[in-house]
Amino acid sequence: MKIILDGKEVTAEAGRTILEVARQNGVDIPTLCHVPALEPAAMCRLCTVELIENRRARMVTACNYPLRGDAEVRTDTPFLRQGRKLIIELLYSRCPDSTVLKELAARYGAELGRFPEDNKDCVMCGLCARVCERVGGNVLALCGRGVEIRVDTSFGRTARHCIGCGACARICPVNKIQIGDEGAERTVIIYGKEASRIPLRPCTSCGKPFGPVIDLSLIMERAGETKVPAFNLSVCPACSRRNHARRLAERHFEQYEIEPRETGEDD
Amino acid sequence: MPEAEVMCQEPEVDFTLIDRIIRDDFNGNREAMIMMMQAIQRHYHFLPEPALHYLSQAISVPLTKIYEVATFYASFSLIPKGKHILHVCTGTACHLKGSGGMVKHIAGKLGIAPGGTTADKKFTLETVNCLGACAVSPVVVLDEKYHPKATVGLLNELIDQVNAE
Repeated sequence: MKIILDGKEVTAEAGRTILEVARQNGVDIPTLCHVPALEPAAMCRLCTVELIENRRARMVTACNYPLRGDAEVRTDTPFLRQGRKLIIELLYSRCPDSTVLKELAARYGAELGRFPEDNKDCVMCGLCARVCERVGGNVLALCGRGVEIRVDTSFGRTARHCIGCGACARICPVNKIQIGDEGAERTVIIYGKEASRIPLRPCTSCGKPFGPVIDLSLIMERAGETKVPAFNLSVCPACSRRNHARRLAERHFEQYEIEPRETGEDD
Repeated sequence: MPEAEVMCQEPEVDFTLIDRIIRDDFNGNREAMIMMMQAIQRHYHFLPEPALHYLSQAISVPLTKIYEVATFYASFSLIPKGKHILHVCTGTACHLKGSGGMVKHIAGKLGIAPGGTTADKKFTLETVNCLGACAVSPVVVLDEKYHPKATVGLLNELIDQVNAE
């Protein structure tokens, strides 16, 4: 298979996407909605490239276009830069304080503020919904369509079956999903609305809440055969460390009396 | 939440019926999910939430996915609809033949906005973009029956007929 990438001939395995081939060869194509572990969705359209196949040129999204035969790919033409500039300007109007978009804007010379800001706080990449399906408890989904598409929970209610993994907050390219522990509960907040609220389990040693109550069977089903045994921790990491250190000290320094320390101050 | 309020006054969902749709009509095959949803909607004129919960359990598809599908397609509704659904075409040809005026007339007569349902749950008024019958415009569809070259007079007749039932 003969692939010409930005004028240079490169080798590529059949079935690899343009984005994978480009990254292997050190060509950077900007993306917002792509994470190698998840199925590409081509939501952000930033990775659009020019593809010349059978003497026909067209625009395709690099992240979900598998190469199957001889082709020429151009990733950085004036025309593409123009298109990316416009996409960045439009996305910026939805999400005006995003660092990622500001960096991209500087790279492509986008005029920020060309479109009125509507503060949707979301670039509609769909990563949170996709990662929730794969990693989390299937809480988030892209609901509606067209201009009304949004990330939502089923029936717009606060979800209780969230596993509190925080994958959605971690993966959001514009950092607009807040996950936080307050008291004995963990909440995920999207668009200023509570998407989920789940209880945290208390540590059996110090009594402080430390992690979500997880339905392990669900996780096991998804993980398949695991090499390590899965169990729900009953002791928080800080207590676990302290207990372990105490046991070690007691074993090696029997002659010394170990003063029990006040818990929960210096972890 | 306005939807939740509406849900409360909804009639009981007949789970044996839903079970029959899922298992007998479609063999519990999850690929037929949309068809099952259509069948449920045909029966209740909308998708009742308990029915979707049941469907999710029965075919092992997360409720979130079903909700995603239900909100994606314009033909699915999560809000209760009236017994009779009146579609008025507002496509280009029908628009030129005065469908806008008809929509306004029905809206005034029934006291609802397009997309709304009358308080007695008899009528839901909907506008559609094109029904593919531009040659006989303006087109009005009442309960899947097409009425070509509709007029305000015909609409009055249709509505009165239903109301007289």
